[in-house]
Amino acid sequence: MQFELDEDRSLLKQQTRDLLERESGSEAARAVMEQAPEGYDKALHATLAELGYLALALPEEAGGMGAVSLAAVMHEMGRTAFPGPYLDVLLASRALHDAGAEAHGLRDRVVAGEALCVLARRETLDDLSSTELTASCADGRLEATKQLVPFGAHADAVLVETREGLAICERPAAGWEANAQPTLDHAQRFAELRLSGPAQLVAGGDPARGILETVDRLAALSAAAQLLGLSERALELTLAYTAEREAFGVPIASFQALQHRCADMLLQTESARSAVYRAAWALDHEPAAADELVAVAKAWAGPAARSVCGEAIQLHGGVGFTWEYDPHLFFKRANTLEQFHGSTRQQLEAVLQARGL
Amino acid sequence: MDLAFTTEQEAFRRDLKSWLAANLARPWNDEIRNPSHDENSLVEVRRAWQRQLNDAGYLGMGWPAEWGGRGASVVEQAILEEELWRADAPQVPNFLGIDLLGPALIHHGSEEQRRRFIPKMLAADEIWCQGFSEPGSGSDLASLSTRAEPDGEHFRITGQKVWTTFGPWSDWIFVLARTDAEDRYGGITFFLVPIDQPGVEVRSIRQITGESEFGETFFDGALARREHIVGKIGEGWRIAMTVLGYERGVQTMAYPARFEGYLSDVIEGVRRNGTLGRADVREKLARLIVENQVMRSNGLRTLANLAAGESPGPESSIEKIFWSEYAKRQSETALDLLGPQAQLTTEARHARPDMDWAREFLWARAGTIYSGSSEIQRNIIAKRVLRMPTK
Repeated sequence: MQFELDEDRSLLKQQTRDLLERESGSEAARAVMEQAPEGYDKALHATLAELGYLALALPEEAGGMGAVSLAAVMHEMGRTAFPGPYLDVLLASRALHDAGAEAHGLRDRVVAGEALCVLARRETLDDLSSTELTASCADGRLEATKQLVPFGAHADAVLVETREGLAICERPAAGWEANAQPTLDHAQRFAELRLSGPAQLVAGGDPARGILETVDRLAALSAAAQLLGLSERALELTLAYTAEREAFGVPIASFQALQHRCADMLLQTESARSAVYRAAWALDHEPAAADELVAVAKAWAGPAARSVCGEAIQLHGGVGFTWEYDPHLFFKRANTLEQFHGSTRQQLEAVLQARGL
Repeated sequence: MDLAFTTEQEAFRRDLKSWLAANLARPWNDEIRNPSHDENSLVEVRRAWQRQLNDAGYLGMGWPAEWGGRGASVVEQAILEEELWRADAPQVPNFLGIDLLGPALIHHGSEEQRRRFIPKMLAADEIWCQGFSEPGSGSDLASLSTRAEPDGEHFRITGQKVWTTFGPWSDWIFVLARTDAEDRYGGITFFLVPIDQPGVEVRSIRQITGESEFGETFFDGALARREHIVGKIGEGWRIAMTVLGYERGVQTMAYPARFEGYLSDVIEGVRRNGTLGRADVREKLARLIVENQVMRSNGLRTLANLAAGESPGPESSIEKIFWSEYAKRQSETALDLLGPQAQLTTEARHARPDMDWAREFLWARAGTIYSGSSEIQRNIIAKRVLRMPTK
């Protein structure tokens, strides 16, 4: 038994950390958030493509490296609250891969960083109402209105979930209306997409469901791993700040009231680490247990990150509420990731389903 | 990363399970519901069970063969603890002797002491209790004031110990006593003291459950032989702190196994009362499952680290907080979802047949206090893991 990553994967994790610290520190992330309408650094996206990062969610025979590697990279992305559509692109590339030969042309362009493609699935604005999909793709023509499509306004193509299956819609000259949907996470970009035009159905009914199940598992694991990274870094920031900040003539980190809260932050964070990597390992080696363990990881890591990152703001005091200090970047992303890629509510239900309850 | 058990470990588990199926006469749940039992006869059930386990070589498995062990790895010990819970086996009465004193003797005791005490400890011929806490020294254990003064070939011990689990049934007690009033840590020595002597009196303490599993022990010039000091004079604190660490690792899989068993009673209950489809019930149930799985993930990680040769570090404080706080949440949720039926004691008409929630609910209040309260564990995390400054 061994919990630590093997040599290759810890090298990958370290390289990712070095790259992100160099290219996407807090200042760079803020520049993207404040100045880039598309919400990501195009040059860095190209670098990620060049280094093979965009193939990470593909099966191993197609250039992927398995779920543990995916989790390790996502973990690092979380540590910097990395802005942009990285995960969304990975998920689309995997769906395109699984959809078969017809979709592989677009897959290759996405993995090469030449085209930005994301999934467009959601039609409701909440997780409670269940309605039939209205999007349709018949006779090569797509009619769809999709909500909260990540980076939808700047995508070159979308893979749309319709009644008939998954359809590729490349951005046409007309019939692509994007209405920005800014959220409280100022570094993320969402849009309502109203699509009406030519599209290519690449996977029908049952195959599409299978593809989306795979994508959902990878999405939940990846989000959970990012949530772990957010928590880990938010705790580090808090420990550094409270060790430095003095009140009543001593560092505030010496107060037991703060120490106990930091201890609880560590408990939540370390437990997320155990849950995330166990789930990733199960996806690679113990598929029968993976559905439950992935849902468990996301259902734990989401609320944990919301709590830990919220505590980071609290323990920073007044400056924690300022735009200038970083805790809000982590707190906001924690909330985005908690709600997307299978919300906590949905993961809790998935845990019960996995047990036949 | 590799979270799989080896084929040898799986084989050990298989053999153990079939041994349990063949040898465990009745699950503990059935014993405690047998109206002909009282507290004393239940102790005898546990003593008999300990002898069965010992004869089969399952006790002190990690110790050298000379002392009844088989040099088993921590993973096999953890599997044993996990399967004992799954089988709902009685807890052995000498768990404190085996978990704490045994390792202390193996690592710090004399050859004489090992020969004299270990076989009878394993065979449950001598039951041990632990004399660490005092009325004035709980979380701040090193402030203990029970004193030991030399008297020829003996030391005379005077003071009071409390929360001596199994005290009322014990033959011996291992005691931390002060041999130097000035030296806070270096003035503490580890003594083995027979209980059946004029200077020792054990009184039962009635717990909030109504049971009296633990007691308080009064020493009034009680005699302890010099050759029954473990380690050297003044080494008691260091020895006690290392043996408290041994306690942790092997139990790491036992808690989630135990709570998984309890969970199945909640699931059965909400199925039966027809509320499994309710959204509020589903959410609460799912949270219990999630938290228990996370606990098991923490346990596997600890176990993997121990198997890789790391010693259990202060991170074990995270596990202590996790399981003990979870026990409260789980039993509170059980009372909530199952309603007043879960408050019925085992002898009540219509009590739940498979689970004594009334007892578990009350016992859960102890878990966050004993073996280092949740507050002490948070102090340990803040100071030794997070390295937060002291004033």
